[in-house]
Amino acid sequence: MITDVELEIWREEWQTEEAVPDSLRKNVERQSRLMKIGLVSDVVVTVILGGGTTAWAFLSSDSSVVLVAVATWLFLAAAWIFVLITNRGLWTPAALDASAYLELSIRRCRSALHTVWFAAGLFVAEVAFGLSWGYLHLESRKPALQWLAFSSIRMDVVWILTTVFFASLLWYRAKKRSELEQLVRMREETDGAKEIRASLS
Amino acid sequence: MDRASLKEQFERILAEHGPALSRLAYSYTNSLSDRDDLLQETAFAIWQALPGFRGECSERTFVFRIAHNRAITYLSRSREHRADPLEEVEVHDPTPGPESEYSRRQRAEKLKLAVRSLPLAYRQVILLTLEGLGYKEISNVLGISESNVGARLTRARQLLHEALEKRK
Repeated sequence: MITDVELEIWREEWQTEEAVPDSLRKNVERQSRLMKIGLVSDVVVTVILGGGTTAWAFLSSDSSVVLVAVATWLFLAAAWIFVLITNRGLWTPAALDASAYLELSIRRCRSALHTVWFAAGLFVAEVAFGLSWGYLHLESRKPALQWLAFSSIRMDVVWILTTVFFASLLWYRAKKRSELEQLVRMREETDGAKEIRASLS
Repeated sequence: MDRASLKEQFERILAEHGPALSRLAYSYTNSLSDRDDLLQETAFAIWQALPGFRGECSERTFVFRIAHNRAITYLSRSREHRADPLEEVEVHDPTPGPESEYSRRQRAEKLKLAVRSLPLAYRQVILLTLEGLGYKEISNVLGISESNVGARLTRARQLLHEALEKRK
């Protein structure tokens, strides 16, 4: 019997797809849903913040409010550029097999870790801008350090929110790092198993 | 056959033929959720037909015949009748280096997309051939003669070659 080599090669390629573990697949699907929700939230935030500060600049007699609107749009643009670049290629797995799902999860984790740094930087820049703008618009100017150090309820809120934000970022970073370690370990085990299978066949 | 034995047989069939059924469903649908829907419909149809299965044909023929019937129903229900290949997916290579795993996956993905792009009559025959079915089994699944299977397979291979060439 003559073996049809071409058909055998195609058959092997066709059937090499590994089953995707349920937990991995569910995790990827859940992340995809969260990414969609995140994108919708980003649009809402852009409309509210960008539109709000623009409207404020138009209605206000204070010309420095224009600066707030411009800065807000710059921050929003930076955030959008980052989101669009980091989300590229993260929406669907490249194939329907376990390795592709695993790779996608790993890349999503790495992207989340980059996002932590970007979010921290952006937040610091926004708070720095907000505080500087606020300080320059004080009617009775206090020394800056005294003003910054819990001089009013507004400042208390700023510091409490900052603390909560950074605590959440640290928690999220630790969670993503441990998830990444686990996924990388899983990939190493899968690759190891493949090598063993290959050496036996 | 009692319900417990049927359930056991059903679970065994899904475990044994699940990956093949998944590949088959993928070849007829345009998204992961559609593939899952079709897979679920197929599983349900197998469950319904199982009490009537008397072993007139092999279990594999029985399973693939149901899967193909469900796929045809799905296609006739779907708005897009023609083969509508998925967008060319860019396969990212996170670990550049030896060819191996990455290029294997890329070749497999290209093959899947090429199969999806074939006209239905040829897609059916090549799909079953790639799943390891012989002429006789394919003729039983599709309800066509063995010589017809041979003729379709020859044409399907030519078309598959052309489709793969285009994707090079």
